[in-house]
Amino acid sequence: MTGASVLFLALLAQNFEQRGFFENQTLFYPQDTANDSGNVVNQDLFRWEASYKIGDWFKLAGAFDARTDTHQQVERDFRLDVDDRSIQRPAFSLRQLSATFHRGFVTAEFGRQFIRWGKTDILTPTDRFAPKDYLSSVVDSDFLGVVAARVTLTQGDDSLDLVWQPWFTPARMPLLNQRWTVLPPELEGVVIVDNGARYPGGSDTGARWNHVATGYEYSLSYYRGHDYFPLLDAQLLELPFATPVLRVQRYYPEMQMYGGDGAIQFAWVTAKAEAGYFTSTTPGAQNYVLYVIQLERQIKEWSLVGGYAGDVVTGGAATPLEFAPDRQFARSFVGRASLTIDVNRSLTFETAVRAAGSFLRAEYSQAFGQHWRVTPGLAWIRGEMTDFLGQYRRNSYATLTVRYSF
Amino acid sequence: MSSVSTCKAMLALLGAVMAAPVFAQDARQIMEEVQRRQRADSQHYEGTLEVIGNGNRIATKRWVYDRLGSFGASKAVLRFIAPPEVKGVGLLILNHTDRASDQWMWRPNIGREQRIAFQDRSTRFFGTDFSFEDLEERDVGQYDFQLSSDEGAAWKIDSTPRKTSQYTHSFLWVKKDTYTITRVELYTKKGLMRTIDYRDFEQLTGIWTARTTEIVDVTRNSRTILKYDKLEYNVPMKDADFTIDALRRGA
Repeated sequence: MTGASVLFLALLAQNFEQRGFFENQTLFYPQDTANDSGNVVNQDLFRWEASYKIGDWFKLAGAFDARTDTHQQVERDFRLDVDDRSIQRPAFSLRQLSATFHRGFVTAEFGRQFIRWGKTDILTPTDRFAPKDYLSSVVDSDFLGVVAARVTLTQGDDSLDLVWQPWFTPARMPLLNQRWTVLPPELEGVVIVDNGARYPGGSDTGARWNHVATGYEYSLSYYRGHDYFPLLDAQLLELPFATPVLRVQRYYPEMQMYGGDGAIQFAWVTAKAEAGYFTSTTPGAQNYVLYVIQLERQIKEWSLVGGYAGDVVTGGAATPLEFAPDRQFARSFVGRASLTIDVNRSLTFETAVRAAGSFLRAEYSQAFGQHWRVTPGLAWIRGEMTDFLGQYRRNSYATLTVRYSF
Repeated sequence: MSSVSTCKAMLALLGAVMAAPVFAQDARQIMEEVQRRQRADSQHYEGTLEVIGNGNRIATKRWVYDRLGSFGASKAVLRFIAPPEVKGVGLLILNHTDRASDQWMWRPNIGREQRIAFQDRSTRFFGTDFSFEDLEERDVGQYDFQLSSDEGAAWKIDSTPRKTSQYTHSFLWVKKDTYTITRVELYTKKGLMRTIDYRDFEQLTGIWTARTTEIVDVTRNSRTILKYDKLEYNVPMKDADFTIDALRRGA
């Protein structure tokens, strides 16, 4: 090897960073549901994230996921997924692959990436480029990347975020034949066929202006595109002497959002508020305002967040044929309390309380050495079948997560 | 001394009040000289933290620290590089001459920056014995000083913050020959909260610098030892790398 190539490799290594983890999670469901008698689900996830920088003007970042499970929530196909449009989770997925250019006050990122808007924590109405994966729990979800071009202009205390998303990424909803899809009793004996999805053409765009000042910050945002939560097109086929069949297909309504968020620090608490006004021209979709008001406070090692999420419908009729957990979480008092016991151990509680349903999630997490972390948890869901949370009352579960980070 | 240590010492400046005007002026002159001797255009180091809790539980973390500017008006970014589960977590600190700093934290797993509110600065930083406030770097102008005693080789100085702080006052020990702070005792309304000891001094580009800082949370019987590697002063740095956007980019 020549001196030049050794130097080149050394430079390459200096600018290369990586990290990742292997995680095994087991979920224990003590109760059966009408469409799912599986009481133990085990899932494995290997995630590897890497980035390479050239100077301070260019960065290439990627993330790769490999998964498997015991409950057919993960595909068994040997293919590399790049858009997260599959009904099941892909076994191999390119979670992120983006190039970031930075020059002066301009930062531009192109490719599959994560874009987070908004300031509130438990529910974030203006977070329009951040679809989630709800496949294995409606009360605990993970973000999905989107294919987009994002340009951020920063000048002093102001920044302007411009996003163009040419390829739509939907939220991943629970499988129709599993416990997180609750079917009405009238459909007992009906065969449900998942007919996949009709994805919208065209692109989605958005802009967000953010201003930061001492003691407060706020932003205004606009989004024009499609809701990443689907409406459902259901067709019942009843043939003589045959079992009735219900064919279900997802479609994604056009959407415009006018949003704003802000945070103010008071002497004792930080107050945050976020709201979006959503309109749609798609038949079946409603126009509505979704808002969150929350207060935050640290007391010694406790971090406390509490607030209210609400909505106001301004047009259109409600439909049962939709999957929209953000809206359905509205009209809830929400809260989160986390305690840092010490450098290795923490405890977290999260809750949502509604008129006819509630959930409480508790997690204890402990690190062992530099690489291992074990997290047992419990999610307890109660309520009436007519309530968004209450309908999942047979889905209370315990989890045990073991993670090795590297 | 410098970086977190310097910051610590500086911010550590707190103190009860009421002293003879001559003494007060002397104490201020001493502290201004401490600050003058620590002044550098920028600073870089890799820190290794060992957290030793009640039951001798030990956790080790590493971070990279960059600071541009000096004292009151400086900007700093601290980014964890180990252990793997916190790698990439960053903290941006914008210090101000006339008020407490602004701070934002970046957690890669959330993908969003979080502002650290003023009233939450007394919280421990990532389970270490440093609070968020301890990571600030304040100018001597933000404190009142009083010479508490002359202890031969060192002055003991009482300092009181003029701006909002979790601490009501602190005692600082300043070595007479090098004008370095070797120990700080930080008090809240309830009494002694933390002690900070600076050790293993050596001169780097003319600045006496502690290579080890030990902070003890007296109320929890927990301590954190911070050791500084690859410490350099006056490294070329750019303003643009100390913004929220840069924090997100991982610059």
